[in-house]
Amino acid sequence: MTTRSWQVRAGLLPVVLTGALALAACSGGGSSSSTQSGAAGKTLVIDTSFDLKTADPGRTYEPTGLIVDKATYDTLLTFEGSDVTKPVPSLAESYELSPDGKELTLKLRQGATFADGSPVTADDVVFSLTRVRDMKGTPSFLLDGVEVAKTDDTTITLTSKTPNPALPYILPNPALGILNSKVAKENGATNDPNDKAEQYLNASSAGSGPYTIESFNVSSQVVLKANAKYWGAKKPYYDKVVIRNVESATQKLNVQRGDSQVALNLSGDQVTGISGGLQVKRTASAYVFFLLANQDPGVSKVTSNPKFVEALRKGIDYQGLLELAGEGSTQASGIIPSMFLGALPADQAATRDVEGAKAALAASGVTDPKVTLEFPSELTVNGLSFQPLAERIQANLKEVGITVELAPAPVTTALDNYRNGKEELGLWYWGPDFPDPSNYLSFAPGKLVGLRSGWKAGADKDVEAAADKAGAAVTDADRRQAFTDFQQKLNATGPFMPLIQPGQNIVTAASVTGVDYHPVWTINVADLGAK
Amino acid sequence: MRSPLARFLVRRILTALLLAVGITLVTFVLTNLVPGDPVAANLGQRALGDPAIVAQWRADHGLDRPLPQQYLAHLGGLLHGDLGTSQQSHRPVLDDLAQSVPATLELAGAAIVVSLILGVGFGVVAALRRDRFADHVLRVLSLVGISVPTFWLALMAFYVFFFRLQITPGSGRIDPGMTPPPQVTGLYTVDALLSGRWEVFSSAVGHLAAPALVLALYTIGLLTRFTRSAVLEVLGQDYVRAARAKGLPGRVVLFRYVLRPALVPVITVAGLAFGSLLSGTVLVEAVFAWPGVGQYAYKSATTLDLPAVMGVGLVVGVVYLVINLVVDVLYGVVDPRVRVS
Repeated sequence: MTTRSWQVRAGLLPVVLTGALALAACSGGGSSSSTQSGAAGKTLVIDTSFDLKTADPGRTYEPTGLIVDKATYDTLLTFEGSDVTKPVPSLAESYELSPDGKELTLKLRQGATFADGSPVTADDVVFSLTRVRDMKGTPSFLLDGVEVAKTDDTTITLTSKTPNPALPYILPNPALGILNSKVAKENGATNDPNDKAEQYLNASSAGSGPYTIESFNVSSQVVLKANAKYWGAKKPYYDKVVIRNVESATQKLNVQRGDSQVALNLSGDQVTGISGGLQVKRTASAYVFFLLANQDPGVSKVTSNPKFVEALRKGIDYQGLLELAGEGSTQASGIIPSMFLGALPADQAATRDVEGAKAALAASGVTDPKVTLEFPSELTVNGLSFQPLAERIQANLKEVGITVELAPAPVTTALDNYRNGKEELGLWYWGPDFPDPSNYLSFAPGKLVGLRSGWKAGADKDVEAAADKAGAAVTDADRRQAFTDFQQKLNATGPFMPLIQPGQNIVTAASVTGVDYHPVWTINVADLGAK
Repeated sequence: MRSPLARFLVRRILTALLLAVGITLVTFVLTNLVPGDPVAANLGQRALGDPAIVAQWRADHGLDRPLPQQYLAHLGGLLHGDLGTSQQSHRPVLDDLAQSVPATLELAGAAIVVSLILGVGFGVVAALRRDRFADHVLRVLSLVGISVPTFWLALMAFYVFFFRLQITPGSGRIDPGMTPPPQVTGLYTVDALLSGRWEVFSSAVGHLAAPALVLALYTIGLLTRFTRSAVLEVLGQDYVRAARAKGLPGRVVLFRYVLRPALVPVITVAGLAFGSLLSGTVLVEAVFAWPGVGQYAYKSATTLDLPAVMGVGLVVGVVYLVINLVVDVLYGVVDPRVRVS
């Protein structure tokens, strides 16, 4: 063989290998047939950016975990579709709140069964709820101070020391899913922090929901399979549901190509002009972005000045922020999201008044103010980053005469200052723990978020009185009025400026039915079907 | 121990062990220097308001002890094969790594194999066809490979080949409805073959091809350039000219007299390139939804999951040590002068 002919052959080798690899890529399919109905049954693929730690209902509190648990566990009460203003029966066929709001009596439905066919009993309910409360996991606060008792085989009573009208709104949280206590106990479940059932509950759920867990991987995918013994009237439509961890840019391509049928995390920009016969469900999410101005003079003499806060409130261009947030988003009128009981109507939302802001700044006596705005740099909420919002606020306030220095920091660092009440100005968001306005009493003086803005107890008697009244109200009408009043006072004199509720855009294949955004569990897999 | 190679290996392994301990110390100190409280990063807003829950969480994760004690406990756990429990997944870090490391090794392994074959092959061809058409084409291609950012290339590859041309499969390691093969090595391609599941093997190879090629492109470019210049240097040596003048076949001259000495610098570059492959996987894994150690590391870092971060640091450190060891041994194999020294 001559040198030249050998060179030609050597040169061919890499070319041949490249071709082989390309063929391998093609041989792997590129087909999306596995996601449709076929011999293996109907499969649905949902793409989402995972925020997932566990599938154990006693420990879960992350959005992806709540999707999984909503599909695999039933709760005593639930919500119909996306309506969070009225809890409806699930494992409990009825409920009644005592006139003083301290005792909730639930009648257990007869005939409901777990996935292994055994009946759901009052003992299962008592064990499951006390386990969540006493295990001290992240969601244990949901039942803080609530005593759970079985009155008889079909009656459960939940008793609180103080009026707790929010309890029917808390019970639908998938973290309060009812476990098959016999199976759970056999696998290490206890009613204290020594509980060891998490690994078992991640591998194989022990609930009565329409789906069961087939496989669970905290970083890649969760596979659910239909519960063949599901007791409810509406049987699961899909035989298998695959929930995959996929970044939003890839989610868009996957759903457009047909590799997945549902994409949960596309931003407003990403869904603009989306094509290919897809459905886009645009809704305002229940997350509320807000600006806080620290009221502790020890932290800032500037932001603790009430007139300065007024200048901030009037200086922000809320409509401009809304444009940044993209499709589906809405201005937050108050700190309570628009879909909750007691939310302020849209016409009470703040508007920009540059002259008013300048006048308030002049009245504050602060000259040439410079303040620092802290916010999490890498966090995105429904595809919306904090940085552009902060920059827009900075530009808005510059027009008023306020110099804002931006201080972005990784969320773990920024959270420290926020939670310790050390931020001069802070840009944050609040996601509801449960869809009830009482969750937002945390913004009152001396309460959790109030303290984070240096707003101590006694700082604003008027707002505190309104908060107390709202907390004590029992009937829906009284609560609606009281929470409206609380928010109006909070908007008038409080240190918070509610900004926007970013859009929650759910994109699905044209064939998928039953898609509804839910503020607590994002999407109910059991509601999904096909045309 | 008489064999110089054995002595050399033992010495290198002992050094590697010491370095591994050093890696644990550096990872531990750096992880704890990061401002931010892991409690705040891991507990919900309301749970943080309950001092009992916060105290319980700190105790559960050993964060209530002084730092030196935490480090010693970490080292003690390592000796028993215990890397601690992940704060994000609530599972042993070792179990998490057992899932994510094979995924990355499969991806990076495929990329390095492709890189070595294509990079060295292209380099040799470019050198042998110096200043001709093939050389010009390969030089441009290698320049492109080195210059194009991996994340951009990954996005483009996914968009063009998956979305537009529809010739590659989508996200993940296998098709979504498919059950993974029983775990033996954790490499889906190998495990699928071992269990005789051809449809899973085909799916796994298909899913692997695009991200592996994307990941390999930079290394291919790098190796092409290094191999070309190394081969050219050797080709100009007197002994090569003498071999040719004696009428030795081109294949013999290439393999016996040119490639062997030219490979020494190439091996060094290949070792370093494998390191860059590991860092490149973070972005490629994100785009292709590949559940590897890059994604795990990123998630652990953003949630200040200290045991997981330290586990990843240790694994990556050990991989580097092993590569360096292999590179050192290969020097000896390829170049007899190294063995003698």
